[in-house]
Amino acid sequence: MRALRLVVVLWLSTVFAMAADIQSYTVRLQAAADHSGLAAASVALTGCTPGTLALPLGFPSPENVRLEEAPAGVRLEPGPRNGMTLLRFHFPEGMPSQATLRFSFGLKQVFLETRLAPGEKSTLPEGSRIFRHAFVNTQEAPIGIYRLEFLFPEGLRAQAIREQLPRPKKSEVGPRVLLSKLEDRQAAILQFAGLHQGDDTSMALELVPSQRSFGWLIVGLLIGGLYLVKFKDLVAKKLA
Amino acid sequence: MEKMTLSSKTREAQSPSERWMRYLGFPGGILLFLLIYFLPAGAGLSAAAQSGAACFALALVWWVTEPFPTYVTSLVLMFLLLVTRTSSAKAIMDVLGMEVIWLNLLAFILASMLVKTRLATRMALGLVVRFGHKATWALLAFLVLQLVLAPLIPATAARCVMTLPLMIVVATIYGSTEATPNAFGKNLMLLNLACISVLSSITMTGSSANLIAVGLIQNMGGQRVYYMDWMRVGAPVAILTMVLMWILGQKLLFRMRPGEQVPQVEGGLDLVKKQLEAMGPLGFQEKKAIAIFGLVLFLWMTDIFHMRWFGVEISAPFAALLGAVIVLFPRWGILSWAEADIPWHLLIFSAGAYAGGLALDDTGAAEWGVRMLFGGMNLKGVPFGFTYTVVISVMMYSHLLTTSKTVRTLIMLPIIITLAKALGWSPISLALPAALCIDWVVGLPISGKPNVILFSTNQFTVTDNFKYGMLTCTLGVVILVISGATWFHWLGITPSFWAVAP
Repeated sequence: MRALRLVVVLWLSTVFAMAADIQSYTVRLQAAADHSGLAAASVALTGCTPGTLALPLGFPSPENVRLEEAPAGVRLEPGPRNGMTLLRFHFPEGMPSQATLRFSFGLKQVFLETRLAPGEKSTLPEGSRIFRHAFVNTQEAPIGIYRLEFLFPEGLRAQAIREQLPRPKKSEVGPRVLLSKLEDRQAAILQFAGLHQGDDTSMALELVPSQRSFGWLIVGLLIGGLYLVKFKDLVAKKLA
Repeated sequence: MEKMTLSSKTREAQSPSERWMRYLGFPGGILLFLLIYFLPAGAGLSAAAQSGAACFALALVWWVTEPFPTYVTSLVLMFLLLVTRTSSAKAIMDVLGMEVIWLNLLAFILASMLVKTRLATRMALGLVVRFGHKATWALLAFLVLQLVLAPLIPATAARCVMTLPLMIVVATIYGSTEATPNAFGKNLMLLNLACISVLSSITMTGSSANLIAVGLIQNMGGQRVYYMDWMRVGAPVAILTMVLMWILGQKLLFRMRPGEQVPQVEGGLDLVKKQLEAMGPLGFQEKKAIAIFGLVLFLWMTDIFHMRWFGVEISAPFAALLGAVIVLFPRWGILSWAEADIPWHLLIFSAGAYAGGLALDDTGAAEWGVRMLFGGMNLKGVPFGFTYTVVISVMMYSHLLTTSKTVRTLIMLPIIITLAKALGWSPISLALPAALCIDWVVGLPISGKPNVILFSTNQFTVTDNFKYGMLTCTLGVVILVISGATWFHWLGITPSFWAVAP
């Protein structure tokens, strides 16, 4: 039995051998109006050796995963793993030490789909959407910087950041999730430096329509105007 | 003099301009709300943060112009925070259970004890007899009192509530009541307000935010700040500013008429002396009050040893809670619950102010505002003195954007340390002087806990507070800039003001 275990461990170590150091791992996800998404990822590597790099992808069911740019001979083989996706990059003999891998993929539905059971109270107003992303570094090599840039669909903006983990350390400048503008679109950026094996990071955002309700304008002007009429005596009497 | 009630009635508008302010303040607040609420979405600002800023701006206009009593504005603010989806119902309601609210409530029970036993009156009469020949010396006595208390009791709210009964009785002696506040009352309350906050910056243990700043300078900047390092730079600036404010408050902002400069009780100072004599020696109840107050004071002053002594830290509200238990204890205590004068309107006002302030912090609106202030400036290649002045000014006035010193420190200090490194300056040269501004939360009644408590005395308006606070801060900036060019430079903390980073 012990011998069998040893064989399995040795086999796994060859299959998932650490074939590179990951300097940075950036995913830019653009959500479309129909709530589908198109992502472009870029991974900067150093110390590459022939073998397999197993890179986790923080999305459960990507479609059309395609290698866009890589040194010659590199193969990409996506596969599911524990409800997430594992991308296996096979590096050939003669792989350059430094390399940048670029790949793309699509997502059918970017937002969480919430279905209410009969009689269940809704916790979100009409038109609100929740986007949640979690990433776990399941492979051996540490990741220098993991960054997810999420570009919102046109017409939506962030109501609030509902989750941003882990909490930034004292030595980190800036928040874990930063709301910003990218390519002239509202966006949120999740960033975490120094992810070791087993470290995870996540963000959840609530998005709402950018257009505010004009009900506020009507009610506000009505009450303000009414006050000016009904409380005129505050100044009129005293000055008289 | 025997009563220290804090009325919930709105102060009467006294001049035509005040009446117009009240009349126009209501729609003005609504207009400002709508303007901010409907502004196009800025990069980096969430919808909740924008709504929070709009609600807070509305409340601020109403608190300043007072179309309603301040506590009603607080209630409106709490409702608006919910319906604009800025904060959750739980977050808003939880504010009433915050440490500062409890401390206010319990401290007022202790203050009621001091008033009922007439200990507050005795102390105030004693202070006036000794220093009160002229109002100006009575004010100086309070400055010295706060200077002595600052290193002993780090909790600013605790310092405020323990001296509040004294302030109210002394104000009354000089003819300043909540119904007819005068220039002496304004000077007294606002000088104490500023002293309580500003003098906390004398030592690095003056507030927990100071210690966070020291930790950040060490962790991020790699430079250690020792107790004496802080005190050598912090103490002269804080004390000099407060001495100048003692003078400027009376000479520039709220000039006292000749009649207000002496005790206003019939018979003058002689009568005050006679009243003090008539009180006779300390009674048993007064001694009991001193013992209870002494116990609470002892616990407030020794909080750093609690863990070692008791295995648990008895925080400021719990020390006051123990005092309140003894005060209200049947037969052995001093007060019945009905005799405790608890200003619930003040607690509601505080709760609203804190709910608004927390919303600005939690939604990231305050952080966004601070980042915008720094982000728009290009400080590369400019002399150190210019960068230093900008950093100090932003740090000093940024307290108007947030109600939490800790949050402000956690947002600002990392930015300042990173900025110093990026520009090629030693992190301590900008971060330590900036850290000295952390405690200067004097601009508005909602800027700090003591401000909230003192505002409830109705002795000054939001505008009075703003004028006094802004003058204090501006004076602080000027003194810090002069110190940066001279004193701090000689100590080796700052480079030459004309130096340009390589």
